[in-house]
Amino acid sequence: MATEFTDEADLELGELDQDGAIAEAVGNVWGDSRADFLRKAALGSGVLLGGLSAAASPAHAKVGKTDKSILNYALVLEYLQADFYSEAERLKTLKGETASQARTVGAHERSHVKALRGVLGRDAVKRPSFNFRGVTESTGAFRRTAVALEDLSVAAYAGQAPRIESKPYLVAALGILSVEARHASWIRRIAGREPAARAFDEPRPKSEVLKLVRATRFISSGARTTSKKRPRYTG
Amino acid sequence: MFGDPVTEDRAVVTGLTRGRLFGRAALLGGALFGGAIAVGAVPSPAASAPSAEQDEQTLKYLLELEDLQAAFYEQALKQGKLEGELREFARVVGGHEREHVAYLRKALGEGAGKAASFDFGDATSNSEAFLENAVALEETGLGAYTGAAPNLTAKTLRDAATIVSVEARHTAWARDLAGKNPAPRPTDKPTSEADARAAVEKTGFVKSA
Repeated sequence: MATEFTDEADLELGELDQDGAIAEAVGNVWGDSRADFLRKAALGSGVLLGGLSAAASPAHAKVGKTDKSILNYALVLEYLQADFYSEAERLKTLKGETASQARTVGAHERSHVKALRGVLGRDAVKRPSFNFRGVTESTGAFRRTAVALEDLSVAAYAGQAPRIESKPYLVAALGILSVEARHASWIRRIAGREPAARAFDEPRPKSEVLKLVRATRFISSGARTTSKKRPRYTG
Repeated sequence: MFGDPVTEDRAVVTGLTRGRLFGRAALLGGALFGGAIAVGAVPSPAASAPSAEQDEQTLKYLLELEDLQAAFYEQALKQGKLEGELREFARVVGGHEREHVAYLRKALGEGAGKAASFDFGDATSNSEAFLENAVALEETGLGAYTGAAPNLTAKTLRDAATIVSVEARHTAWARDLAGKNPAPRPTDKPTSEADARAAVEKTGFVKSA
């Protein structure tokens, strides 16, 4: 799938993370702030995550270190997707059903970001800066990238599900996994691809997913550009 | 939610009474399935911590749903009344459901019961009825998997998670074909076993042996 992802999305396999922007953005998901995690005591009440009501969430539960790491990892992927869809919508690149899909799905991803930030509170990883390198500026590139990102998101959530320690978070993650898969099926059909290519969706471990994300070079420390010219990556 | 002592109806399915075969109009209503699933469903809380024994019960329940789906698509293809992308959908999705059945039967070994017998009426030969029922069956299966999966042991959950997303793909595809929004909500609600069984019973597809 790695080959399919990069080829189909017209992405370049750039050098990895020259200036440490990626490391900074995703550093927290590797549990660098262990001390911070352990200091936290209570999960805020009234927090919504996916379909869970505030009443159902354990109001004073400690969020385990593993779960926080997983939720922050999910948050990075959701930031990426949300900003991708938001930018395409802002640029008014798309038309017809692709535009509808982007509007609906973008709203979902933004809602995922909000929910995950709500649960993580001060422990939420900061939103990275993104440079989508032109893929939001043409319909073909948008579709290919959307397929890749949605499929990747499915693989990422499936990879983490068995590691989640707290049941309510597992329930929420499965509810999001399910919707990411709907997204994938939908955009695949729009792009003329098989909505459901196989009977079992391959999970991917975090290291592999983040490697693929780094390879897109979408996460940057610099300002976003919307020009058609490919920006020079000065690192 | 997992602290609540929700009692769940674990009625065994083998004794399902022969449901009334619903006419096309009732099936197209959609409300039956939509209603059953949209209820603020809490996933079935485990009576105890995940265990191999509990996995077996859960997989048996999921197998019933997969058997139903597989039979539905098989019948549709056999009757040969679907065309174009609908037929392709039935072929591809039916193939996946068969693979899911094979996985569950292998995992259950001797513990896997025989499939029930089914009567689909004109739901597999009429395009409109087929699509409405495909949407309903896929939504039911998806809700059942997301509802049951949190109770599984990690090893089985690993496999179940790879099926959840495929059922979701099926669901979105069917909805898209039917002119419905493929992804109506930002997250999907799990369905309790009781609600999933109720949705199945209402179809009238499952005959007693």
